[in-house]
Amino acid sequence: MRFSNTIGAAFAAVALFAATPAAKAALLSPQDEESSDESGEEGFGEDDGPETHYFAVRGADVYTGTGEVLRGATVLAKNGRIKAIGYDVEIPGLDFQADVPSKERGYTAEVLDAAGYRVYPGMVAIESSGLLGTGGDYRDSIDPFDQNMILGLSTGITSTGQSNAACKLKRYISQDPPVPYDFDGIVLRDDCYANFSWGSGSARRSVREKLVRASEYLREYRQWQIDVKNDKELKEPSKKGVDNSVLDVLQGNVLAKFRADSREDLLGIARIAQEFGFRPAIDGCREGWTVAAELGRAGAFAIVTPRERRDKSEMLVREGGSSIENAAILYAAGVQVAIKPASRGISLGGITGRDIMHLPVEVGFAIRGGLPEDAAIAAVTTVPARMMGVSHRVGTLEVGKDCDLIVTDGDLLHYQTFVQWTVIDGQVVYDKQDELYFAHIRPRAETEVAPLRRLDAGENEEAAEEGDSEADGDDDKDKQNGKDEEE
Amino acid sequence: MLERPATPALRAARTGLCAVTRLAFGCAVTCVVAGAAWAGSGVALDAAKALVCSAEGPQSIDGARLLLEDGEIIAIGSASEVEIPAGFEHVDLGKRWIMPGMIDLHSHISGAFDINDTVFQVNPGLRVSATLRPGNRDHEVALASGVTTVLYIPGSGSNVGGVGVLHQTTSGTYEEVLVRDPGSLKVAQGDNPARWGYGMGRLMMNHHIRSSMRQGKAYAQRWAAFESGAGEAPDRNLSLDIYRQLESGETQISTHTQYYQVVLASLRLLRAETGFDMYIDHGTFDSWKLGPLAKELGVAAVLGPRSVLWPRPPRFDSDGRAEGAAWGFQQTGVDRIGFNTDAPVVPQHELTVQAAMGVRYGLDDAEMAAVRGLTIVPAMVAGIDDRLGSLEVGKQADVLVVTGHPADPRTSVERVYVRGELVYDAEQEVRRW
Repeated sequence: MRFSNTIGAAFAAVALFAATPAAKAALLSPQDEESSDESGEEGFGEDDGPETHYFAVRGADVYTGTGEVLRGATVLAKNGRIKAIGYDVEIPGLDFQADVPSKERGYTAEVLDAAGYRVYPGMVAIESSGLLGTGGDYRDSIDPFDQNMILGLSTGITSTGQSNAACKLKRYISQDPPVPYDFDGIVLRDDCYANFSWGSGSARRSVREKLVRASEYLREYRQWQIDVKNDKELKEPSKKGVDNSVLDVLQGNVLAKFRADSREDLLGIARIAQEFGFRPAIDGCREGWTVAAELGRAGAFAIVTPRERRDKSEMLVREGGSSIENAAILYAAGVQVAIKPASRGISLGGITGRDIMHLPVEVGFAIRGGLPEDAAIAAVTTVPARMMGVSHRVGTLEVGKDCDLIVTDGDLLHYQTFVQWTVIDGQVVYDKQDELYFAHIRPRAETEVAPLRRLDAGENEEAAEEGDSEADGDDDKDKQNGKDEEE
Repeated sequence: MLERPATPALRAARTGLCAVTRLAFGCAVTCVVAGAAWAGSGVALDAAKALVCSAEGPQSIDGARLLLEDGEIIAIGSASEVEIPAGFEHVDLGKRWIMPGMIDLHSHISGAFDINDTVFQVNPGLRVSATLRPGNRDHEVALASGVTTVLYIPGSGSNVGGVGVLHQTTSGTYEEVLVRDPGSLKVAQGDNPARWGYGMGRLMMNHHIRSSMRQGKAYAQRWAAFESGAGEAPDRNLSLDIYRQLESGETQISTHTQYYQVVLASLRLLRAETGFDMYIDHGTFDSWKLGPLAKELGVAAVLGPRSVLWPRPPRFDSDGRAEGAAWGFQQTGVDRIGFNTDAPVVPQHELTVQAAMGVRYGLDDAEMAAVRGLTIVPAMVAGIDDRLGSLEVGKQADVLVVTGHPADPRTSVERVYVRGELVYDAEQEVRRW
């Protein structure tokens, strides 16, 4: 038995047998499927300790971001990582062990009932400003109580690029008694890019010189790696004059990031990227639509603002300037497109719909220009995650990834849709009805059962003492069944 | 873009020339050309849905057909009910919708920003028509976004900025694009005009505005008396002439007025004390709390570019909620709620986003308030609803072909007809918008 590595957990499992013989269940994560036969509780008990926490959102239409949509499915997370997505996913503390006191279970559990809502991966903003502090290095300025961070979460943004790092919007969660804010877990990755300046002739020359020197060094180094096997005395090639960040780019460790808009600059970047064999990320890319094929061949990433509008210079006969079709044309040519809004901060001046809080509106403009809807959602989830090198953690809902998700009351890209709950690392960090900002706008209907519940058998025991003999896990089940019938 | 004929003589031949130009575009716009005799004749548009936007009555028709001829709408109804006359060009728009051209009652894009001549604090004699340059790039994009009519007005650098002009965003001469001059008298209160000079505050500004209103009212009444046969002809005063048109109801006051105290002053100074037709322009932040008074005085609210009061204490009495201006005015019973951009503060082509944000932040769109706020409401507010703002028989054929609800940023404008002419077709080139 794989689960019995702690006595407490084994005890809990035994208790489970007695209480719910019908629990057959297995979580639909790959490692569990292999051995899910009669015993039925693989995956529980294993590694479960007092710190173990399960979080589940069930009943919603799950847009995984990988192409699949699972209607009325469950997402289950264990300690902040997604453990299972699918149907018939049994939730610890609810579908079994419901009447085992949580102290004896060896874990805590929470469930969010979200039938009628949609679940999407939390959005990954390719860049933003002011969500993690007032500016500069987030480490120095982060305010875990910041209104901007809450508004970011209300938008559905769970991760963002800031400065050169990929960060999570880690909000301070009140606890009783209070605990100090823990800075751990904010940073997904530091140093996501090597920033290259391409704005002037001398800048372009400097980029080329650095690339030449670094690729020269790499060639020498690789040759040395071969030769040193025969001649142990052979001296390692000199690293003198080699720019480490450029070396990282050539080795594929980080993306080279450029800021460029004009067709000529874009072509220059595509050319040099292919010459030295790296994939460029191009911020701006306004005239990308005129050279999309070249950018596609160079394997470029583009960070675009679809609604940006700029006329080309009257001096130019060639086509140019902005086009609403930019994102769509780039995407069709194989460029990986990420979207940033017209204004990357939170704007509370009253002019609404252009800032990071309205990122989905910006995405809408890319669709207006012809970008397919799935590519449009990818532009604020998977593509930014990939660009920042954190796609193994965030960007889609997949088993093993961080449980960063949002629950919306409709199509994420519809202007009327509000994020109802935002979840980071399997913890609800934003609830529309609990915050002042938007609770009054099309408020959620009150339900008999609170949508978000801690699955604590202790509470039920107290109820039992008061004489409600039925108040146990079965009660929850009945409610759930009733709900299912209604559907 | 179709070129408009340059001279009146050529203009007479417009219809014919237009047909030739259409042919020159390779008939890309036509799906079905019914017969060879279509040149110079009408067009039948079949759409999945028509957003009619009439002042009253049904707001939409599914499976609609619209007939336009000589620049006017001559029929609209269900495709099964409206027959296509012989010789009409028949365009099947498939799943697309049709709707009226959109109207923005606060725009500054039509000149070279030479709209703030603030030598004096009160300038009712100035006219922006002197600076109008039809057919600029902003107009081109505005047209591509479905904004076919704008009220081009002076800036808010002085308390009375001058007289605006209502015009279409098409190319052409002043006369060809003109909808109405005077479009409005621009009054500005609060904040911006306080920058006029040293010591300028609300007391002084309200005094200036009230003085001008009283003077103008008296002047207009003297002229009205003379015209009805009483008294002598008053001396002509070009600075006050606009008040004659305000007195007769031919034009309105459009008021840069934004928060509670300022809007309260607007309603008193410009409406209650004078009886002029005025509307709240901007009407943002907490000003919706004056909705009941606005309703009582019959004053409409044309909202934007600031559409939401965000938690921003201590200036506003805010408990932290995000409050949509459109939501607020709707809540308090104001039935005419329109949207504006104050372009280029919000780009002219993003007018629809203003409506989307209205809905997002609480406006109930069940009765098509969002689309009405972009079409018939501004038309009614500006008094041009006899010609514009809805798809009704007898109105000017300003028609948009759209891929869905116009407030949705995902919706694109596929074609624009102004006065029955196809002036924008998204299929012609890589789209700018």
